Amino acid sequence: MTISAELLTKLADATNEVFGTMILKPLVAIPAWIPIEPRGAHVIATVAFAGYRRGAVAIHTSVEAARGITGALLGLPATAVNGEMPDAMGEVANMIAGAFRRKLAAIEPPSEISVPTLTIGSDFSTRYLGSVRRGNCPFEMDGHTIAVELILIGTEPAAVDSGD
Amino acid sequence: MRFLVVDDSSTMRRIIINTLHKLGHTECHEAANGREGVERLAAITVDMVITDWHMPEMSGIDFIKSVRANEATKQLPVLMVTTNAAEDDIQEALRAGVNNYVVKPFTPDTIKDKIQAALKG
Repeated sequence: MTISAELLTKLADATNEVFGTMILKPLVAIPAWIPIEPRGAHVIATVAFAGYRRGAVAIHTSVEAARGITGALLGLPATAVNGEMPDAMGEVANMIAGAFRRKLAAIEPPSEISVPTLTIGSDFSTRYLGSVRRGNCPFEMDGHTIAVELILIGTEPAAVDSGD
Repeated sequence: MRFLVVDDSSTMRRIIINTLHKLGHTECHEAANGREGVERLAAITVDMVITDWHMPEMSGIDFIKSVRANEATKQLPVLMVTTNAAEDDIQEALRAGVNNYVVKPFTPDTIKDKIQAALKG
């Protein structure tokens, strides 16, 4: 089961909106699928959603890139970032999921989003149980890979009658 | 102008305060949730409150209702900054008493414009 290109485009648009407005770092889309778990220490910031759709948006990146994002968000050099990174990456995930939710709500019934969760560490991978569909919007920023993943539970919801 | 910024995310408080500093507003106070916001307002005087919606202990909506119920703060302009952008959300916030509403992500110009609009009522 795959995720439609329309949904992934909306997720990519939401990501570009957040980076272009709040982080002020240009993202370059990487067209090909890439492995979403980078080697070495990395960060996964996840926001789940439920309602018309159920699933999650997860940002995967290296700790080094996460420090760069945090510094840009807070107006600090990346080298000055210390304990701010987890909260900042959670807020980035929250804004991307919120913008994605807003774009979807324009064309379908709404879903609600959760508080963000952060996983930071090395030598781990994520696994999902059940009938999960996964799609990935990979980007490059300052030479770092940032993968924004969409995880959806179950099949595509039935179309809603617009009443026309 | 003096501001109280209420948000459980230290990142978002810092972003908003950095933005306010860029706009020339240097007296900015902070609170991490609505309950802390109520306590801060009892201790300080500000010209505007900027609050998040979803926070632990006391939400932004309950905080605004508390501000409006207090004789000393009921006229205080309140700006809400949140990812909630549905029309129902905005209507709920307006019913609670917000003067204006900013959807994240935002630019400094958006904050500037919304502050001016909130001050006009």
